[in-house]
Amino acid sequence: MIALYEPAVGRRLPLIDGIEKVTGRAAYTADLRAQALVGRILRSPYAHAELLGVDVTAARALPGVVAVITGEDCDKPFGVLPITMNEFPLARGRVRYRGEPVAAVAAVDAETAERALALIQLKVKELPAYFSAETARAPDAVLLHDGRPGNLLREVHDEFGDVDAGFAAADIVREARYRCAEVVHGQMEPHAALAEYDTERQRLTLHSVTQVPYYVHLMLAHCLGLEESRIRVVKPFVGGGFGARVEPLNFEIIAALLARAALGTVRLDLTREETFLTHRGRPETEIRVKLGMTRQGRLTAAACEVVQRGGAYASYGVITILYAGALLHALYDIPAVKYDGYRVYTNTPPCGAMRGHGSVDARHAFECLLDAIAAELGLDPFEVRRANLLKTPMQTANGIIVNSYGLPECLARVEKASGWRQRKGHLPSGRGLGMACSHYVSGAGKPIHRTGEPHAVVELRLDFDGAVTILTGAADIGQGSSTILAQAVAEVVGADLGRLRVIAADSAVTPKDNGSYSSRVTYMVGNAAIDAARQLRDILVAGAAHRLGVQPERIERVGENFRAIGSNDDGLSFRDTAAGALAQGGSITVKGTFTVPVEYQGGKHRGGAVGSTMALSYSAQVVEVEVDIDTGMVRVEKVWVAHDCGRAINPLAVEAQVQGSVWMGMAQALGEETRYDHGLPLHVSLLNYGIPTIVESPPIEVHIVECLDPNGPFGAKEASEGSLAGFLPAVTNAVADAIGLRFCDLPLTPDRILEALARRQRDSRIAAARGAAS
Amino acid sequence: MTALPPFELIRATSLAEVVAARRSHPGCRLLAGGSDLIANLRRGLSDPPALVDITGLPGMQEIAAEANGVRIGAGVTLSRLVDDPLIRRYFPALVYAITTIAGPAHRTSATLGGNLCLDTRCIFYNQSDWWRHSNGFCLKYRGTVCHTAPTGHRCHAAYSGDTAPVLLVLGARAELGGGEGRRSIALNELFRDDGAAHLTLGSDEMLLSVWIPIDSGLVAGYEKMRFRGAIDFPLAGVAVSLRRKDDILADLRIALTGTNSRPLLVSGCEALVGRPVDAAALQQIGKLVQKQVSPMRTTLAPAQYRRRVGSALACRLTGRLFAAAAESPFSA
Repeated sequence: MIALYEPAVGRRLPLIDGIEKVTGRAAYTADLRAQALVGRILRSPYAHAELLGVDVTAARALPGVVAVITGEDCDKPFGVLPITMNEFPLARGRVRYRGEPVAAVAAVDAETAERALALIQLKVKELPAYFSAETARAPDAVLLHDGRPGNLLREVHDEFGDVDAGFAAADIVREARYRCAEVVHGQMEPHAALAEYDTERQRLTLHSVTQVPYYVHLMLAHCLGLEESRIRVVKPFVGGGFGARVEPLNFEIIAALLARAALGTVRLDLTREETFLTHRGRPETEIRVKLGMTRQGRLTAAACEVVQRGGAYASYGVITILYAGALLHALYDIPAVKYDGYRVYTNTPPCGAMRGHGSVDARHAFECLLDAIAAELGLDPFEVRRANLLKTPMQTANGIIVNSYGLPECLARVEKASGWRQRKGHLPSGRGLGMACSHYVSGAGKPIHRTGEPHAVVELRLDFDGAVTILTGAADIGQGSSTILAQAVAEVVGADLGRLRVIAADSAVTPKDNGSYSSRVTYMVGNAAIDAARQLRDILVAGAAHRLGVQPERIERVGENFRAIGSNDDGLSFRDTAAGALAQGGSITVKGTFTVPVEYQGGKHRGGAVGSTMALSYSAQVVEVEVDIDTGMVRVEKVWVAHDCGRAINPLAVEAQVQGSVWMGMAQALGEETRYDHGLPLHVSLLNYGIPTIVESPPIEVHIVECLDPNGPFGAKEASEGSLAGFLPAVTNAVADAIGLRFCDLPLTPDRILEALARRQRDSRIAAARGAAS
Repeated sequence: MTALPPFELIRATSLAEVVAARRSHPGCRLLAGGSDLIANLRRGLSDPPALVDITGLPGMQEIAAEANGVRIGAGVTLSRLVDDPLIRRYFPALVYAITTIAGPAHRTSATLGGNLCLDTRCIFYNQSDWWRHSNGFCLKYRGTVCHTAPTGHRCHAAYSGDTAPVLLVLGARAELGGGEGRRSIALNELFRDDGAAHLTLGSDEMLLSVWIPIDSGLVAGYEKMRFRGAIDFPLAGVAVSLRRKDDILADLRIALTGTNSRPLLVSGCEALVGRPVDAAALQQIGKLVQKQVSPMRTTLAPAQYRRRVGSALACRLTGRLFAAAAESPFSA
């Protein structure tokens, strides 16, 4: 009997953990059952102040309170980047934003914990606070952090090629300033952590919503002064990340500190407001971009200045400001590129990494100006892109190697699907078409911690039951990484998906993984999975060959079965083959690894590691809008997007990821925006923060372009981020097409549209009056 | 959201019991669907010793034809109204307005009375206790300053109920009951323009029912502006009712929500009666609305936008209804 088997790669397979989620069986961190104390955090009401005293006497004395901790309980600053660890789990000496944790309580119930918080007295001396990059950079501004003049976390100045000569060679040079509001991930699941401290053995177990269990593990050890061996970090089901959780966060360390202080187990479930306050979103960004072009549409030079309002602590700030410059490259062929970036400390919650990390706002500005120049020259936006395509394989001026480049096909696909040539310029007033391109890395080439270890490790275990267990540290946060790894292993081993099981992200069981960020998992962990799967396959083939009395090269696969080439029988079943192999020495464990070769780890210039990657995804999209000139409402009618992800290991998952990217770009472009009143965030609820609803969600037609990457797993590349950035300029260009106004500020909320329409009407009235008068 | 504060729940079965409960539990709150109240309690916006469940009072759940109109008990849920044949037949504008409220799940518990008596809203008020404490609280609750107009002396929180403007232009009346018995008032008299005390109900009075006249010559409609097509409260909501006689307006009423601390019945509309709805008339309507609405910084969308869009929607809706009235009554 031959077991059913079909190729696993390329299958439209629903996510393997989808059933638990849609039936409600999936246990997220807040669902975990435990006899736990309730943790609550006291947050600073001040935007910037010296912390002179935190009096917790009354709180400690309240019956039912088990532990109260303050900055006194941890003097180790944490942070995701070893070079900029400047945040304390609970503030010490200074508070730098409204909402910063100052103290925490563990009590027998929520009511007692909240009453205890109210009894804590803060003694402070308020300091001048800065809520914009501009005020924070003023020469007389008080410094948020010592040794950071100008309140700059990092400035970047890069020039590749001769920019002055490039602009001199241009027929047209244009410059414009763009501003993108700060946005935040808005993942469905609020932050939560469950910390269990085993006092007798001094061991800590933390369950958390993290995308990066390994980094959390390191920071718990660092902040608690525990050896890593005494800590276990588990990631249960996670309800979305989008970058909000790609670094250790204060509440995770606070939960652990509370559990240790309380000698027990503490549950710390954050409110939606606190989840917003924890932040790590995309910073408010000002972009000044200058492009030079020939009359034929060939780019001659680009210059870009980016200023990011980074918030009170470093987080990923250094990486974000470097990404903005690095990913000006590798999309088009530009002879000379200059970049100046400024990451500024301000008294607002810390920004961090968010889907499309660093690249999005700069890409928006670039593509908007490109569209404006094309219009001025009377060139079609598609033709302008085609005039500037990369000739691959190639290496960019900043050291990024591009081996696979599906942008030309992406352009062709959306141009045709949207009817661009027939429809552009022929739509009724108020309706418009716009397009833009974008790209993203398939995993950061250089890891954050230089341990010398492989960049990804996957273990496989085969035992008496004939099941193949995949052990991976990769954190599935809804993006589907566990599914992709199962498909990769099934494909190589030639096993039915039904015999595979994925155990992920539990440090007690699974190998270390750097985490789910920079779209690295499919590429790196996928390659490690293939390596492991090949080893397991070879063991099985050797076993089958031995049983069948032939050389391993003479074994062929029929479904799951192993058969000697030329024979007409069913061959050996997978179970029998496995049993034979197990007889040699018991359960079989293999380990696969993957490491990014050094030539893909970035350019030699300072900061050159950022933007480095083994492959880039490419994306082009066309957006059609309708603008209501009475209300200023922009309605997205349809989106056509083509995404080059190399081999689509799971086309269903790819489509969903591309739709998700486009949708998130739409949210940023049209509605989302954080707002502060003297540093107090006004937007901190799902009612006030304008995440679109299903009503605003347009049909998104996804075209998968499979430009295979020579190094990717089965030729696969990034699929989850690259189509985000393109939406912002595509919709802005579509609005320009619809109503003749080019917007430089995002989001395009109805009030901004209506204000601009009113201004135009006023201006034209004044112009008409002047004309009549003269 | 934090845990609900502790409270006593009293289930009243008569108006007299409600009155008695309110006397014995000063500061208690009336509970029907709870979709507004419970969310506010969780945010610490009220700390009542007791909640008095009024859904079991006689008549609270009734929808009945009465005296050339329809009477709706204050406890009737919004989802029931949307499905009710009588309401669908005579008041399609009300049905439409209800479908714009919150989400379907909310509407299964939210009631008409609750929507009419909806607490006023403001970005400085509908925040957590930590947030409001950090901001020195506000005039509406526990503070002394209105952050939208710090030099003024009143609260500017905005009224956001979607049913009120429609009921106002339909000429609805409200039946109230309390310790002194019952009385009927024009719905317009239920409200005052003060965000901290926007209902004119006496201290022991409550809304029992709403009566809407059936007027076959009237066409009515509702348009709601908000950035998202679901969930959001109105930035400006406009209801219009009009009567058309040949090519002229025989009657016109316009009411707005979301722009003031009360639903606003626009005055001066009678000046347009006897005229066709042409560009000049629409311009005049636009000006009437712009002059009378007074949005403040109670939402993240700018006040000026809400003024503009309220006016634009009033013009657009009037024009649309006038055109529709030529074809058939009851259009919306």
